[in-house]
Amino acid sequence: KEKRPKFCINDHVDILIEILKRLDGRSLGVAASVCRLWCNITRNDSIWEDLCFSHVSPSPPRAVRPVVVALGGYKKLYMGCVRPVQSRLGESERVGRAWTRDVEVQLSLSLFCVDYYERLGGGGGGGGGRFGGDASASSLMFLCKPVNV
Amino acid sequence: MKRDHQETICGGGGGGVANYGRKSKSGKVECPSMSSSTTGKGKMWEEEEQGDAAAAGGGMDELLAVLGYKVRSSDMADVAQKLEQLEKVIGTAQAQEDGVSHLVCDSTVHYNPSDLSGWLQSMLSELNVPPSASTTINHLQDHIQFSSVDDSEYDLRAIPGVAAYPPTYVPEHENARKRIKNSFVSEPATTEVSESTRPVVLIDSQETGVRLVHTLMACAEAVHENNLKLADALMKLIDLLAASQVGAMRKVATYFAVALARRIYGIHPQPPPQDCLNSYYSDMLEMHFYETCPYLKFAHFTANQAILEAFATANRVHVIDFGLKQGMQWPALMQALALRPGGPPAFLLTGIGPPQPDNSDALQQVGWKLAQLAETIGVEFEFRGFVANSLADLEPKMLDICHTESEAVAVNSVFELHRLLARPGGIEKVLSSIKALKPKIVTIVEQEANHNGPVFLDRFTESLHYYSSLFDSLEGSGLAPPSQELAMSEDYLGRQICNVVACEGQDRVERHETLSQWRTRMGSAGFDPVHLGSNAYKQASMLLALFAGGDGYRVEENNGCLMLGWHTRPLIATSAWKLATTESQ
Repeated sequence: KEKRPKFCINDHVDILIEILKRLDGRSLGVAASVCRLWCNITRNDSIWEDLCFSHVSPSPPRAVRPVVVALGGYKKLYMGCVRPVQSRLGESERVGRAWTRDVEVQLSLSLFCVDYYERLGGGGGGGGGRFGGDASASSLMFLCKPVNV
Repeated sequence: MKRDHQETICGGGGGGVANYGRKSKSGKVECPSMSSSTTGKGKMWEEEEQGDAAAAGGGMDELLAVLGYKVRSSDMADVAQKLEQLEKVIGTAQAQEDGVSHLVCDSTVHYNPSDLSGWLQSMLSELNVPPSASTTINHLQDHIQFSSVDDSEYDLRAIPGVAAYPPTYVPEHENARKRIKNSFVSEPATTEVSESTRPVVLIDSQETGVRLVHTLMACAEAVHENNLKLADALMKLIDLLAASQVGAMRKVATYFAVALARRIYGIHPQPPPQDCLNSYYSDMLEMHFYETCPYLKFAHFTANQAILEAFATANRVHVIDFGLKQGMQWPALMQALALRPGGPPAFLLTGIGPPQPDNSDALQQVGWKLAQLAETIGVEFEFRGFVANSLADLEPKMLDICHTESEAVAVNSVFELHRLLARPGGIEKVLSSIKALKPKIVTIVEQEANHNGPVFLDRFTESLHYYSSLFDSLEGSGLAPPSQELAMSEDYLGRQICNVVACEGQDRVERHETLSQWRTRMGSAGFDPVHLGSNAYKQASMLLALFAGGDGYRVEENNGCLMLGWHTRPLIATSAWKLATTESQ
C-alpha cells in the first residue's frame, strides 16, 4: 500500500471557511462544537452573512453590512430574525405567496432594527428612559413563541 | 388542466368557485379563465359570464371578483387580448435578454392590482406595445408578479351570501328586551338585520353567549331610553351570564358591562392622562398591545412604505408625527433610509405628544434614543419635540418648516385624527394646518368602524361587533392565559371601549370613523389619494404570516388603501394622501 500524504482539513483554513460558509444554521451550530478552530471560525460574523443573504439575488447592497454590524452583527440578525422568519413562513399555509426573498430580507432587517431600538438604554435625563434597556425586550417575542398552526 | 377549470367554472355555485380557487395555488398568475376563453371554448364561457354578470353588481365579473380582480364582463375579451400581448412581449424580450425583464422583477411596484384592465393598460403602454392581434396563450410567465388578493378570497367565508358558509350571527335588538323579561328558555331567533349593524362571527355560539349579547343590547337600549331601573336590573343579569362564559366573549362582555355601568351610574372616567401613574400605565399598555398583535406593526410598516416611496429622491426629509409615544415607528423607517440606494437623506423628525403630568420630557427621551440609533446606522438625524394638549392647538408656523427644494415633508398620524372629532372645528383646523405645511405625503391609519354616530345604541352595537373581533384575534395570538401581555393588551382595548360607551361630549375621544368617511373628509378638504403600492402589501402580508393565528389575519387592498382585518371583518385601514393638484401652487 502506498502511503498517501495525510490530508487534514484543519491545515487548510481557507477551504474550511468556504465549506462552512455554505452550511445551514443548524449545521453551523453543530460545527461550532467540533473543535476550537472550527468554533473560532464560526464566531466570525462573515460566515453568518452568507447564511442570511446567500439565497437573495441580487445580493443586498454594500451599505447593508455596516448597518447590520452596527446593530449587532449577522449572527444576531440570523438567530434573532432571519431564522425565525424563515421557519415561520415555511410552516405557514400560504402557498400562493405574493412576497419574495427580497421582502423577507427587508422585513428581517426592519424587525432587527426595531429590536435594537427597544434594547437601547434610556435618555439622558429623567427616569432613565421608560421601557428601554430591558434585557428581555419583547418586540420580537412574537417570533419566538411557538406557533399553533 | 384547462378543461378541468372549464368544468368547475361551469359547475357554478359557491362550491365550484372554492374548488377553482384551490387549484390555482401556485405562484402563477391566477387567471386561467383568460386562457380558457381563448381556447375556442371561450364562447360558452363568455355566455356563462353574461349570466353571472347580470347577477353581479356593477357589471363586474362575479367569479373573478371572488378572487379579488375587478374586471367588467364586457371587458373580458379585451383583457384577454391584452394579456396575450403582454405575454408575447415579455416572451420575446426574454429571448433577447432585454432590459424589459426589469419591469417584471421583484422591484416593480403595482398600484391597484385588482383593476386588471387598468394594470394591463399601464404595463402595455410602458412596454410600448402597439395593439395587434396575437396567438393563443398557453400560460403566463411565472415571474409576472401579480399581487393578487391573498388566500382570504379562497376562504369560503369570503364568498358573499350564505350559500357557502353558515350564516353569521346577527343580533336584533327590537324584541330582545321583551324576550329576556318573559322567559329564559326560548331560543332567540336571529332574523332581522338592522341597518346600522354588521354581522360578525362570535366564537362562542352557545345559548348563553347569544343571550349575553342580547342582554347587553337590551341594557344599552334601556340606557338609550333612559330607563335606568330596567338597565340596572339587566346589569345583574349580565353579570350572571358573563360569569358563565369563557375566553374572548367573557372579556368583551365584561368590558362592555363595566362601561355600561359607568354610564348608568354616572361615573365618568377621566380622559387620560390625569396623573403620572395613569400616563405611564397607558404607554405601557400600548407597548404590550404593540408586541402582542400585529395591528400597530401593520400600521407602522404600511405608513413607512408610503413615506419611503414619497421620499425616494429627496435629500432632506422631514417627518411630523402626530403621536410620537415611544417612537416605535421610526427605527424601521430610518433603517430603510440608511439602505436607500444613493445613500440616506438627512432625517428630521418632529414628534408631537401630550404634556406629562410630572413635567418630565418624555418626547426628548424618545428623541434621544432615536438619535442614538441614527448615529449607529449612519443617518444624519435631528429631533424636535412639541408638546400639545390637542393637535388643534398647533399652528403651522410653530413647526418652522423650511421649504427648500430638496426637503420633503411627510405628516404621519396613527390613530390620532379621530380624537379631533370631539371638538367642533378641530379636524378642519388640523387639516388646514397640514395643508399649510405643504407635505409631500400624509399617511393616516385609523380604526375601520363607525363609532361616532349620533345615536348611542348604534354606537354601542357597532363597537360591540368591532371589539368582539379584536378580542377574538387576541385570543388567537397563541399566548396562554394568564399572560401579562395578553391582559395588558386587552386592557388597552378595554379603555377604548369605556370611552366609546361611557363618555360623552368632549371626553369621548374615541370617535372612530370608517375609511369611506375619512375619504370623503380628506377629499373635501383638498387632498388626493395616493395608492399604496404592492411593496406595502407584500410586507404587510408577510408580517401577518409571522404572527401566531396568522391565518386569521387578512390584508385587503381597497382602492389603493390597505386594510387589516380578522377573518372577514376589516379592523384598521392605512391610507395615504397628497395635496390636490390644484392646491399645490
